[in-house]
This record gives sequence, C-alpha cells and structure tokens, in this order.
Amino acid sequence: MTLRKAPWAPTALAAVVVLALTGCGGAASAQPDEADTFVFATGKDISCLDPHVNGDMPQASLAANYLDSLVSQDKDGKIRPWLAESWEVSADGLTYTFTVRDDVYFTDGTKFTAEAVKANLDHMVDPDTQSGTAGGYLKPYESTEVINETTARVTLNRPYAAFLEVLAQPFLGIESPTALKRPQAENCISPVGTGPYKIVDYIPQSKVSLVRNEDYNSAPPFAQHEGPAHIKNLEWLIVPEDSTRYGLLRAGQVDALDLMPSVHFAEAEADKKVQLVLQDRPGNPTNLMLNTTRAPFDDINVRKAFLHSVYVEAGINSVYFGTVTKAGGPLASTTGFYSPDFEDAYLPDPAEADRLLDEAGWTGRDEQGYRTKDGKRLTVVLPYTPAAWPTAHAALVTQIQASAKQRGFDVRIENQDFASSSEKYNNFEYDLRAGYWNTNTADVLRIVFSTEYMKSAGFVPNGSGFSNKEFDRIVNEALATDDPEIRADLYYRAQQIVSENALQLPLYNQTSQLALRQDRFANLTLEPSLSLPYIYDVTAVNAS
Amino acid sequence: MSTATQARTSHTEIPRTTATAGSTGQVILKRAAGSLFVLWAAVTLTFFVLRLVPGDPVTTILGGHSAAPSAATVAAVEAQYGLDQPVLVQYVNYLAGLATGDFGTSYVFKVPVLDILGPQILPTFQMAGLALVFAWAIALAFTLLTVGRGRVLDGVGRGIEVFFAALPPFWVGIMLAVVFAVILGWFPVAGDDGFKSLVLPALALGIPLAGFIAQVTRSSFEEALAQPFVLSARARGLSDLAVRVGHALRHAILPGLTLSAWAVGSLVSSAVVAEIIFARPGLGRSLVDAIINRDLPITLAVVFIIAAVYILVNLVVDVLYRVIDPRTNDKGAGA
Repeated sequence: MTLRKAPWAPTALAAVVVLALTGCGGAASAQPDEADTFVFATGKDISCLDPHVNGDMPQASLAANYLDSLVSQDKDGKIRPWLAESWEVSADGLTYTFTVRDDVYFTDGTKFTAEAVKANLDHMVDPDTQSGTAGGYLKPYESTEVINETTARVTLNRPYAAFLEVLAQPFLGIESPTALKRPQAENCISPVGTGPYKIVDYIPQSKVSLVRNEDYNSAPPFAQHEGPAHIKNLEWLIVPEDSTRYGLLRAGQVDALDLMPSVHFAEAEADKKVQLVLQDRPGNPTNLMLNTTRAPFDDINVRKAFLHSVYVEAGINSVYFGTVTKAGGPLASTTGFYSPDFEDAYLPDPAEADRLLDEAGWTGRDEQGYRTKDGKRLTVVLPYTPAAWPTAHAALVTQIQASAKQRGFDVRIENQDFASSSEKYNNFEYDLRAGYWNTNTADVLRIVFSTEYMKSAGFVPNGSGFSNKEFDRIVNEALATDDPEIRADLYYRAQQIVSENALQLPLYNQTSQLALRQDRFANLTLEPSLSLPYIYDVTAVNAS
Repeated sequence: MSTATQARTSHTEIPRTTATAGSTGQVILKRAAGSLFVLWAAVTLTFFVLRLVPGDPVTTILGGHSAAPSAATVAAVEAQYGLDQPVLVQYVNYLAGLATGDFGTSYVFKVPVLDILGPQILPTFQMAGLALVFAWAIALAFTLLTVGRGRVLDGVGRGIEVFFAALPPFWVGIMLAVVFAVILGWFPVAGDDGFKSLVLPALALGIPLAGFIAQVTRSSFEEALAQPFVLSARARGLSDLAVRVGHALRHAILPGLTLSAWAVGSLVSSAVVAEIIFARPGLGRSLVDAIINRDLPITLAVVFIIAAVYILVNLVVDVLYRVIDPRTNDKGAGA
C-alpha cells in the first residue's frame, strides 16, 4: 500500500464549477471596526520585506505602501518630484544634484535628509545587501556626496538617462538610515520608511500588519489627496492558492486581492460587489526568447518560421479567457517610447513558415512528421519551471508546442526546478527560454538585448544571445541624452532591430490584476511606475 | 511505508521493531543510537542530494526573474553562505553548526532558520494532530458500525473506505473550503486563527487518512470478532456494542496504530497541501518553497524536524503497544 501523494497541480476547476453553481453566496459578518481595516490578499510569498534585498515583485508591492521614493512617475511616464523637490543633471549626464524636502520624517523619528539619499543608494549597491534588482539597476552608480542637509550630489560612471525612471520604482524606495544600520535580519522583518503606512508585525508565509502613519505629509503627485491615509489599518495576507484567495474575497474575509485568477474573471465581472482593477505593466512583455547562439535558432529563417508557426492569440484567448492583452513587440504598450508598429510583425502564417523552413534547408520529414535536415530532427528545447509561472502560462506553452508541431518543430518542454533552469539559462543551454522584465523604462531593451547583458554574474537577462554593435550603440546613445525626441527616435530604431531579428516570441503583457470589494471600499489604485497596488487613497464606502 | 504494508498483509502477526527487544536499559540505548543515526542520515542524504543536483541557487537568492545583480553582489552571496567552498567543507561546517544547535541562516529570508520555522512548528502539529484525531474518529465509527453487519453494510463500508482513501487531499480541501467556508460561512476560508480555522484543513488531511486506517482496522476487526473470546463474551450476555468496544476493538486497532506512526510523519510533510489551500503558515509549505528556491538551510531543518517527529512517534507507538497488548513484552524479537 502506498500513500497517495496529493497531486500538486492546482485543480481549481472543481471549485470553479461549484462556485459557478452557487451563484453569489458569501457570508460576511459585519464588524464595527471594519471600515478602519483594509485587508489585502497577495498571491505570492514575500521573503525579506526590504525591497532593496533580492528584489522580487511581492516586495515592491508592499513597499509601494510604506516607502516613498526620491522621484515619482506620472501616468504618462514623466518624472515628477517626490522626496526630492528638484534636481539638476550635468551636461555630460554623469552628475545628478538633488534638492530634497526639509520637512519629512521616517516613522522611527529619523529626519529625512540628503544623508538618507546617500545611505540608501550605498545600501542598494553594497554587495552584502544582496540586491539583484535595485542594485542591478544602479550598476552605473559611483557615489553620493552630501553637500548639505538638503542637497545630495550623485555621481555616475557613465551617462544613464534611465536613472530617474528607475529611482521612481518602489524597489528603490527610501528607507530610514537609522534602520538600515541594524543587522539585515532585523531590517528584513521591520524596514522603516516615510510612507503612508508603517510595518508593525510580520509573520512569514502568513501576513504583514501595517498601521497608518499619522504624520504623513509627503504624498506623491500621482496621489489623489494629501496627509494621512484614509484607512487606519492595513493587513497584508499571503494567500498563494488562487481559489482560496478568491474565496476569501467572496466570503468577505478580505477586501481586495492581487493576481486575480483568470478562471474567476467572468464571475467577478458579473458580481456587483466586486470591482476589477486592471493595468498592463511596462517593460518587456511575457515572452519566449529564441537562443541565437546555437542551431537551429542561429538561422534567422528558422526563427522567423517559428514565430509564424504558432497561434499565440488563440492560445491566450483559450487559457486566459481574454484576461490578458496580447503583445507583439519588444515593449509593453505602457512603456515610455513604445511604438505599436511592431505588434503584428509575426502573425500566424503557415505557408510563410513552410517556405522559410524549406529555404533554411529543413526539407526532410521523419515518420512522426517532424522536419529534418541531414538526418537531424528540428528539435527545440525549452527548460521550464512550472512553479515559477501561473498555471495558465504552462497551458499556453503546451499549446505553442502543439501548433509548432504542425509545421514540423519538435518543441521539448523540460520541467525542472528553478535553480536547474536558471543554470541552463545562464549557460545558453536551451533553444527557447521563458521570461519577462518588469521595469518602467525603454532602457529594458538594453537589459534584455544588448551584448553587455549576455554575461552576468547572477542571472543573464539577454536570453536570445543577440549581440549587435549597431543595436548596442543605439541603446547606449539613448542613455546619453535626456532629449525626449532624440530618445524616441533611438528607441524606435532599437525596437525595429529587435523585431526584424526575430529574437523573441512575445506572448502577452505582464499585468496587474486586482479585485476589490466595492461594496465596502473605493479608490484602490495602481501606482504608475510598476502598476502596483496603492492603498493610500482607498476610502471606506459607508455601509447603509 | 513497510510497516504499513506489513500491517496490511499479515495482520495477525504483531508488528514490532527490533528496538523493543531486550531489557529496558538496553532498549533505551539502542533507541538513542538508532535515533541519532536516523537524524544524521536524513540530513546528510538531503544535503548531498540538494548540493549535487545541477543548478544555481544564487539566482534564486537574488530575486529571480527580473534581476541582473553585479558580480560583486554574487560573490558576496557565495561568500556569505559558503557556496564558494568545496561541498565537503560546506557539509562539515553545517554539521558543526548543527551540533551547537545552529541551523544557519535562510538564503531567501536572510534571517536565522529557527526564527522562520519556530513559529510554524506548533500550527503544523496542531493541524496534523487534529487530522489524526479526525481520521481515527471517522475510521472507528465506520468499522464499529459496519463490520460483520451483513453483506450489504459491509460492502457499503468497504466502498466508502476505498473512496475516502483515494481522495486527493487537495481536492477535498478545496471542496471543504467552498462548501463550508465560502457558501455556508461556518468556518473561516483561510488563515491561522484559533480552533475554528483548524477544522477544515485537518479534515482535508484526515478524510483520506481515515480511509486507510479504516481499511486496515476492518480486517483485523473481522478477525477479532471471529475469535473464541468474543463468542464467550457474547455467551455471557454482553450487548453487541459492548463486545465490539470492550473486547474486539483492542485487537483491531493495533495495525492501525502502526499505520498512525507512519501517518504522523507523512502528515507533516503532506501538510503543504492544506497549508497552501488554507493559507496557513507551516513546515510543509516552508519545505516545498525551500526546495523550489534551493534554500538549503530551511530544507535541512524541516527534514530534521520531520525525522525527529517520526522517531518520537514511533517511540510513543511502541509504548502504547506494550500498554494495549501486554504480550509484546514477553516476546523476544530476533534482531
């Protein structure tokens, strides 16, 4: 007799059926202080709360609610003041002089000064902080000089026009220098900011409790009001299972959630009590990168044939139920300098795919119908970590495998854990690689496609192995100027080069999908830099 | 697993371990040595398996999919966790730390392992304990009510047991959550908030287990009811229930007890299912997350805890055996 191992695949379908049959049940027990507490359920576990450390999206989501940043970004991608009132950039683009506010305090009582700017930037680039994301974005950072209490001069080692854009991300939020001096283990469970809420308790895997910062006076320009937040307490629950998270919202035990499960979209849209808050994230959309450093994808015709072989849109509509938007170019539509001209560069075209494969010499066929060349089958390997992706993504990849097979591609999806796939990814031991890159700047093109990022001590962002001198020159030139027109031209050209070279199969835009109990609360918004949930403006709906 | 098999195939023979043979002093010594060996073996095996499979934990440590850390940062990570040293050196260092009760620092959470796992031990054991109680309650109710009550009831009982045993806890959990929490609102949907929030996850784990225990108990119950002493008890005019509870039950639960020892160990490691569905903090979830993230210190500590629990439970079961069935004491076992 053997113990049945629980199948470790979320079989939420059963739950969907039941929920669908029962219509709108849900037993909510009203408590007197409910309007004082906003309960948010997040679907991905948080490790260290300090977003400078590691640097995964759940850390930034929470950080957006207790940290302010040096600068902010508005809905159009423009950089606006925040903790810094103004700044000057030197002509050579190497020196940024920030004038910071003089009336802001951290929630531990420390005054925010130019000293804090230095402490934070130094903390992010310090190897001991183990900062993959914030530290990664600050590779051009050299040092900060504190001129006086309200003036900080930051020196870079090369022009980096995206500097202000990345500074607006919660990953680079400003923490109390006093708190940063504590051991990392301590700062990971109780980081301190100047933001609208402050962390009072953290139970790993369970929840983070935050309480309103009553002295808050540094709301960003994108906020709808000033002063303290409207809601007193913020409970941030960690609920990884989709059906449970949605069940909590239905039962009224949480007021909002993120990673809204696609299977429940139709139901949520029909529910008057629920409001969906949806926003595509800027950056490089969810994609499969084609490894150009080895056969068969070292041949551009084979790459183009693959892109024309697959039915991405049909796949997205069937597995995501139309809850994500298709992407066709290297930039998500919400990214600055995005051009729509590349969305339809590679529509499904079986005849063209066949023609390109013939031209590339893959003219043979084996018994199973796969194309061959010199007796070798047209095989492409995709090392894949199911745990790192939504269930629907795995289904989409399987559909791509099926449609590519019709044109004679043998797509092999090799499931493995994250550490194994990362190692393969870092050594170009694959033909296809799943990825995305959330960031609020077109400089993502440099990170994902330039020669500089083909090698990396940690994670290799340039998964296509594309190395092109002209492209490198263009994306670096775009960093050397802050003239928007020149940058727009350069980034247009960069998108064009990426598209023409068929380096990625774009799938869909990364997206923030929240659901809110609008019968209780209103004004749940998304901060503009990474489209993360922003609780500061939330107001209670007076229960009748 | 083997004890369970044994219990299934030859339920008349009393299962026993070699460690229960001999005088009490000898037994304790043997037990202690055996326990240490099991702990060491579990940790060692896990360590080398995790260290020798190809893969790079550093990427995971540094934020995964949207991070491009600098070379200095990567070097700092490797140095801090000793990943730049030979595997054997890492292993010796780990054991040395373990000997002083130091389980190391989590790669991902950056805090001492026990700070993370400490608060999770109790919730997991509360849930596993309650799951075991539920499982036994359901199993006993079933067997007491259906064994030897005629072909129809017998068949129904057997059928339901097989059905329960075959249910995946994941599905049971989601169903329980939907029906009793979302629709009826009798219990919280998720979280770790007092006894009420324990009931559904414990049932999700307990119902399939009840199927196993009932299957094993049923066969030995049938045997016990056919024994002469049952006949004589009935002849003395005892009611059917009194005979079942007072005489046959003792014999019937022994194999189930052996199964329980194994079940507790497996409950802790399979707790992950209930912990994920009901969003409870716990060891099972930590173990799965730590394996995915190659968070070696957390993985090893959870393995250590599960092994220790397994040893303890086996000890308790052995003692219970001696209490329930005094014959165990007199039998010398061939080592």
